[in-house]
Amino acid sequence: MERTQQEIMNSKDKILAALRQNVRETYDMPELDALEGISYPDPVAQFIQKTTTTAGARLIEMHAGDDVNSLIRQAYPEARLLASNVPGVEAQMNPDTVSDARELMQVDVGILQGHIGVAENACIWIPQTMRQKAVCFAPQQLVILLRREDIVSNMHQAYERIRLSSEYFRDYPFGTFISGPSKTADIESALVYGAQAARAVTVILSD
Amino acid sequence: MSTSHAKQAEAYLQNDAVATRHDATFYGVRQKRDKMAQALPEWEQLRDAASQIKKHTVTHLADYLEQFAARAEANGVHVHWAKDADEYNAIVLDILSSHGVKKVVKSKSMLTEECHLNQHLEAQGIDVVETDLGERILQLMHLAPSHIVMPALHVHREEIGDCFRRLGLMDEVKDVPVPEDPNDPTCLTYVARMHLRRQFAEAGAGMTGANFGVAETGDVVVCTNEGNADMSTSIPCLHIVSMGIEKLVPDLSSLAVFQRLLARCGTGQETTVYTSHFRGPRPGGEMHIVLVDNGRSTILADSEHWQTLKCMRCGACMNTCPVYRRSAGYSYSYFIPGPIGINLGMLRDAAAHSGNVSACSLCMSCDQVCPVQVDLSQQIYRWRQRLEAIGQANAMKKLMSQGMTILFNHPALYTATLRLSPAANWLPSALMNSALNPWARGHQMMKFPKKSFHALWNELSKKS
Amino acid sequence: MKIGLFIPCYVDALYPEVGVSTFKLLRSLGLDVDYPEKQTCCGQPMGNAGFERMAEPLAEKFDTLFSGYDYVVAPSASCAAYVRFFHPNMMEKAGHTCQAAGKTMDLVEFLHDVLQVKSLPARFPHRVSVHNSCHGVRELGLSSPSERNVPRFNKIIDLLRLVKGIEVMEPERPDECCGFGGMFAVEETAVSARMGLDKLRRHMATGAEYITGPDSSCLMHMQGVARKQGLDIKFIHVAQILSSGL
Repeated sequence: MERTQQEIMNSKDKILAALRQNVRETYDMPELDALEGISYPDPVAQFIQKTTTTAGARLIEMHAGDDVNSLIRQAYPEARLLASNVPGVEAQMNPDTVSDARELMQVDVGILQGHIGVAENACIWIPQTMRQKAVCFAPQQLVILLRREDIVSNMHQAYERIRLSSEYFRDYPFGTFISGPSKTADIESALVYGAQAARAVTVILSD
Repeated sequence: MSTSHAKQAEAYLQNDAVATRHDATFYGVRQKRDKMAQALPEWEQLRDAASQIKKHTVTHLADYLEQFAARAEANGVHVHWAKDADEYNAIVLDILSSHGVKKVVKSKSMLTEECHLNQHLEAQGIDVVETDLGERILQLMHLAPSHIVMPALHVHREEIGDCFRRLGLMDEVKDVPVPEDPNDPTCLTYVARMHLRRQFAEAGAGMTGANFGVAETGDVVVCTNEGNADMSTSIPCLHIVSMGIEKLVPDLSSLAVFQRLLARCGTGQETTVYTSHFRGPRPGGEMHIVLVDNGRSTILADSEHWQTLKCMRCGACMNTCPVYRRSAGYSYSYFIPGPIGINLGMLRDAAAHSGNVSACSLCMSCDQVCPVQVDLSQQIYRWRQRLEAIGQANAMKKLMSQGMTILFNHPALYTATLRLSPAANWLPSALMNSALNPWARGHQMMKFPKKSFHALWNELSKKS
Repeated sequence: MKIGLFIPCYVDALYPEVGVSTFKLLRSLGLDVDYPEKQTCCGQPMGNAGFERMAEPLAEKFDTLFSGYDYVVAPSASCAAYVRFFHPNMMEKAGHTCQAAGKTMDLVEFLHDVLQVKSLPARFPHRVSVHNSCHGVRELGLSSPSERNVPRFNKIIDLLRLVKGIEVMEPERPDECCGFGGMFAVEETAVSARMGLDKLRRHMATGAEYITGPDSSCLMHMQGVARKQGLDIKFIHVAQILSSGL
């Protein structure tokens, strides 16, 4: 094992030395501030449109006086097992206390808190805020909660927020953008929802 | 004077229906990509930026790799360095063996194909399960990928259904009513879903590739539509990332540029469903990143071909390539087909893969779709210039070129030949249209006019 | 303005009428047109086949013959592009600076961009399908490449619209390669012929009587495939349409 470690170190040095030696001409990093991403007059409307069309998700607009738990039940009335650690969401299973991630594969609906919505592609940024991130992928369906004010136009803006935030990656070293349900077109290009992860996604948009 | 690609392509084209469908499928992907390009006013700026960022990154790669590795290690990740495929395979095997892993679930990675990892692990008794649906289908059918992004689109639903039935996968699914078409893609996908979800639950480790590595943060970014990379890494506790050293981008601002281009170019979607950032091991888990060179640092020294290192494997050049669409992946000798595959194959082993260099009409469409502006067609042109030096030039082609050179370098001989050329019209058509004349295999021979332009010029210039 | 007429080898031998049309058209526009008789070939066939070194002396010869003109005009987008984009590098290897390359243009871009022709006496009462040749589109910019997000334009169509009685069509996949590619057509015969056939079918689906374009090489390839397959469609170079009636 000692020797192997030595060999690996050698490989690192060899690779880095070869790279340094083989560079012929260097190039500067371009100025990315000049690159302006597409922006929409109404990013929320664009987000809703993208979510419900190309992303293949459903979207519920939450109004004053609506109860989030009844909206979740309305979205998936047949669901028996719900999993979430989002404050105020009623669920039978908590991804913070599940010891074996495989248990989350039995879940009907996982409920997640989205932090950034992206209008150009319906992506929702979900930083890991639970012990078992499997709750983001393994349940049959997902409900993602998102505030209107957290919607930006494009990925440049989304990554800028992620870059500046000290909150993401703080508790757990993972975050993911999710845009609709798991899908595949690997068999004769036919689009099918529900490849391996969530088969359906409902976004609940609140003020 | 047929090359290996030309021979394979000719055989492929014998089945007109299959070839027509293949062409239509991938041209359809190209059209979806075009729609994406047209929808963004900043499209060409994005391509410019992507190319410049990659040029910068690969020419400062040692610095960025050190930064990336230091970040990742600070984040609790084990970072390994492999100079070639053997070392890479040994490192992965060592990690798996030391954890007693018998089954590994794996999301799509061209690097593992490049290094033949699966064969290596399987020889050691480890069950390797591909989890991308297309890759799993190919694995079960013992086929190689025919495309780097949509690897199994050349396989038809009937073949997939037959395979699933033969292997008993259908029996694992009791709760779905049998549809009218027993090979309905929705039904087959559901069968595969149930099969694969059991694999995730049984596996002792998850392996992923890396679409990007972010030097500033140490993030490994993996993009999938199926969520298989995420299932592979959120169920098993051990995560091994295989990453070519050219996959780095400097920071999250750069990443935004590539995230926006990747799916738009690759499949004609605004984004993949999942764009996941892995910055460290799961609670109670382990994360390993294996950084693999395997020839990449050598490519950097090649003044004509170093820009292939900018490639992010979106597959757009294949989808637009009129030759790829009409000859399909297996006509190429290298496991990556199409314009980028021709170049990467030559960089891997020029003697073994020079038979692909003919597979280009120099239409230059690939150069125009490439999100990072790799000059693919010009690189193929340059490979053709190198074939002679490496002893791979076709003798017939050389002879034809030499003949032309003599003719074109001697204007008097050239005009004399022009005067005689109409005589070719009188050669027996059996000779002119024979199999010995390669032009005549696809074409009726042209008729020479009585007088060339050279001859007519005298009359024209006298009149004026 | 003194114009050097560059009539590529295969046009010289096989399609002299295209050269004649080009000459007549340029002269009718009041230009002083000369044809250096010692010209042969730009060297592209050898270069594309992998023998660029054999094309190097041809680039030198070309430059000597043509460097004295204000513009070099050719009825062939692909050959003009080879001169413009490949000759400078080839000559640089011998330590020479290329004079003619920057002045070498395809007929369509010369008429459209330099002369900015706005009317022609031509008349061609037929439906034509425009063949956008790859090097015309992607090297010379005769039309906007379908891959790019740039404003749509087509200089060939702009010129054809000046012709009375003409009906201009474009096929589906308007700038997909026809499969000629020089040596490609003899080395990859099956794919080349298949590409040609696919292209012909799309041109014919427009209901056109003629396929027209700025490159006789593409037209020659498609014509050969059409005759072999027994497809009934006519071929005509853009120069012949633009010069009709002269």
